[in-house]
Amino acid sequence: MPALYVMIPIAIIVVALAIWLFFWAVDSGQYDDLDGPAHSILFDDEDPRHKAGVEQAADKQDKNPPHA
Amino acid sequence: MNSPTACFHCGLPVPAGSRFQARVLDEPRAFCCPGCQAVAEAIVAGGLDGYYRHRTENASNPEALPRQLSDELQLYDRADVQANYVQHQGELAEACLLIEGISCAACGWLIERHLRTLPAIAEAQLNLSNQRLQVRWADSQLPLSQLLGELRKIGYVAHPYQADQAAELLQRENRRALRQLGLAGLLWMQVMMAAMATWPEFNLDLSADMDRILRWTSLFLTTPIVFYCCTDFFKGALRDLRTRHLTMDISVSLAIGGAYLAGIWSTVTGVGELYYDAVGMFALFLLAGRYLERRARERTAAATSQLVNLLPASCLRLDAAGNNQRVLVSELSVGDQVLVPPGHSLPADGRILAGQSSIDESLLTGEYLPLPRAVGDSVTAGTLNVEGPLTIEVQALGAATRLSAIVRLLERAQADKPRLAELADRVAQWFLLIVLGVAAVVGLVWWQIEPQRAFWIVLALLVATCPCALSLATPTALTTATGSLHKLGLLLTRGHVLEGLNQIDTLILDKTGTLTEGSLTLSRILPLRDLDSDTCLALAAALESGSEHPIARAFGRVQPAAELISHPGLGLQGVVDGRHLRIGQAAFVAELSGQSAPGIPGDQGQWLLLGDQQGPLAWLVLDDRLRSDAPKLLDLARQRDWRVLLLSGDSSPMVHSLATQLGIDDARGGLTPDDKLAVLRQQHAEGRRVLMLGDGVNDVPVLAAADISIAMGSATDLAKTSADAVLLSNRLDSLVQAFAMARRTRRIIIENLGWACLYNGLILPFAALGWVTPSWAALGMSLSSLVVVVNALRLSR
Repeated sequence: MPALYVMIPIAIIVVALAIWLFFWAVDSGQYDDLDGPAHSILFDDEDPRHKAGVEQAADKQDKNPPHA
Repeated sequence: MNSPTACFHCGLPVPAGSRFQARVLDEPRAFCCPGCQAVAEAIVAGGLDGYYRHRTENASNPEALPRQLSDELQLYDRADVQANYVQHQGELAEACLLIEGISCAACGWLIERHLRTLPAIAEAQLNLSNQRLQVRWADSQLPLSQLLGELRKIGYVAHPYQADQAAELLQRENRRALRQLGLAGLLWMQVMMAAMATWPEFNLDLSADMDRILRWTSLFLTTPIVFYCCTDFFKGALRDLRTRHLTMDISVSLAIGGAYLAGIWSTVTGVGELYYDAVGMFALFLLAGRYLERRARERTAAATSQLVNLLPASCLRLDAAGNNQRVLVSELSVGDQVLVPPGHSLPADGRILAGQSSIDESLLTGEYLPLPRAVGDSVTAGTLNVEGPLTIEVQALGAATRLSAIVRLLERAQADKPRLAELADRVAQWFLLIVLGVAAVVGLVWWQIEPQRAFWIVLALLVATCPCALSLATPTALTTATGSLHKLGLLLTRGHVLEGLNQIDTLILDKTGTLTEGSLTLSRILPLRDLDSDTCLALAAALESGSEHPIARAFGRVQPAAELISHPGLGLQGVVDGRHLRIGQAAFVAELSGQSAPGIPGDQGQWLLLGDQQGPLAWLVLDDRLRSDAPKLLDLARQRDWRVLLLSGDSSPMVHSLATQLGIDDARGGLTPDDKLAVLRQQHAEGRRVLMLGDGVNDVPVLAAADISIAMGSATDLAKTSADAVLLSNRLDSLVQAFAMARRTRRIIIENLGWACLYNGLILPFAALGWVTPSWAALGMSLSSLVVVVNALRLSR
């Protein structure tokens, strides 16, 4: 039981943090478009920077094969 | 291959013998028209052909999108026009553009990527839900008109969008609603943990100290829910009390306020039940219901704002030297000379100074054939010049035009609109009266038996009967149904339409553009010589394919004839397979063979003659065709025993022949907008509830005054904005489906109200006997709300 004396204030602080984070996200417009971002991830393959990143990672793996 | 191939870009069938091709994704693809081909080529040239790999829907046909002329677009570069749309911050300009032609998520990617490849663009972000593009760019390098041109190149039409105060307010309110919903959810979960621990059902042997701490903790966590999340309910309740209305808000406020105040009392004294978790649950459920409703409304508002063209009306003014210059219509003055090219609408009332053409007045009068007009004739603002260029002397402008007279009639008519009572409002009133009555009686009875329990029992009763499910019953059903109808192609812009559709008993129809297609289509071919009708049609189509004239659209697109020459007001001439041909007015065609022109054998429709050097080949009759699904709508009307009236501004015999064909008894032709409104008033005086279906400016007053009005998707802006719903698909059978949907919605709403009342009725006696504890109230409430929401979701299938 004594643990509750610590846990309750911690729970309240965590909730306060979560609420602050949520308010910040809403106010910075992250919830304004609820349809677009769900699809935009599909187009990552077309992004040259993403492709470059993937190639770089593949290069590194080639240079240090796991069983070398 | 029998079935025609689909256009790779827009999915429409590719006409036989088409030569529109391009290489996309390493394969040659066929296109239906030069527009699609050009767009596809622009996309491939920009290295964006990934669009075709990722799209889930076909693109919109670029030729179906509204035309924007480049000199018209240049108006957007004028500082006085821009002032409304564009903000400047140093080098960069910022604007919000409304995009037309978005069909799937890949379009968003394509637009953003294409713009970002342009050096002048600093930032481009598209919001897919409301189809608005926020763009920041250096407008010294790239004027706004060219930016719009770039979007046009990849197949989208953009209009600058004025982020007015209403839109900003909407966004602020939206964010506030989301914050309220999120806060209620987060806090409710914490309150539930703290408050439930004190419930005897969980049988925790809490120390007295712990119990007090948990009570204070839940009070602390509930307070923001009441004072931040629930303010709208309290405000609504106050407003309704002042206007002496009993509404759902009052019920909800009573339950939330009562539970919260009693909670404070029991927290301070340490005796009595805790209903904090019920407060949180009400707040979350009710706010979620309202948020969904708000999102649906907002989506409708976004779709509605796309219906209206925002470009300020402009026209070509002639100066003394005869040069033309594009100016805003608001800059015109009486006596100016204006040049109206074919295909454009007239900016002002006036008199023709030069030129010969025919004028399409169907939107204003319902007359379905373009009427010939020549020098000296008067013409009206808002009508369409069909054939040749006209020079017009302006005689009346703005408020003095005939068009404005109709708009004034519209404003008067709007005041006549009757209000249809909504079911939920009536139920809520009775519900609240009963609950308050029962609570008073129960309180009095318990006061006699056991005074110290009386308060807690009345409180339990108020909390247990909180109309949570009841207030979710209607909005969830209406929201789902509105979404389903939007997919069918019927956009509801006012709230009362769905419920009102069930109360209709009279249907008023317009003819041109509503029951008929509103554009000329080929109805008959009468061959005069050895060639059969198919060959004649192919020859006619080859001639018309090179023309921009509206009549040409009736023939579809094929390989155009060679050596095409257009003679405005007379017809076309060209060469097909070495044969010299003419199509158009009889005298003009007969001239080619040197014979005398044959007389027109019929009276209905527009008669075109096709002929070669040996003489006339065939008559082609163009007529305004009945929509193929019109009989379905009439069948439905007969089935439901409605009175059907056909009111048309057209004075031709076509009104009555159409009425006989469709079985409409009461058809009236040659009506002015005033006459139409008078007929509607007469129906209202007989106590009838009227649904009006129309499209033209002359229908606008009736659309505004009818109980429910629906405008066709092809209607004028004014008609669309004054109607309660817009039939975007232009298909009358969507309307038949909408009626079925309205019935299903009504059934679901009644079922939902039944469920909610049943639950409240069942729990009432237990609460009155004092058997309902906070845990039972919570369980019952969440279950009944869930049933109602799931039931409403059935409408989306």
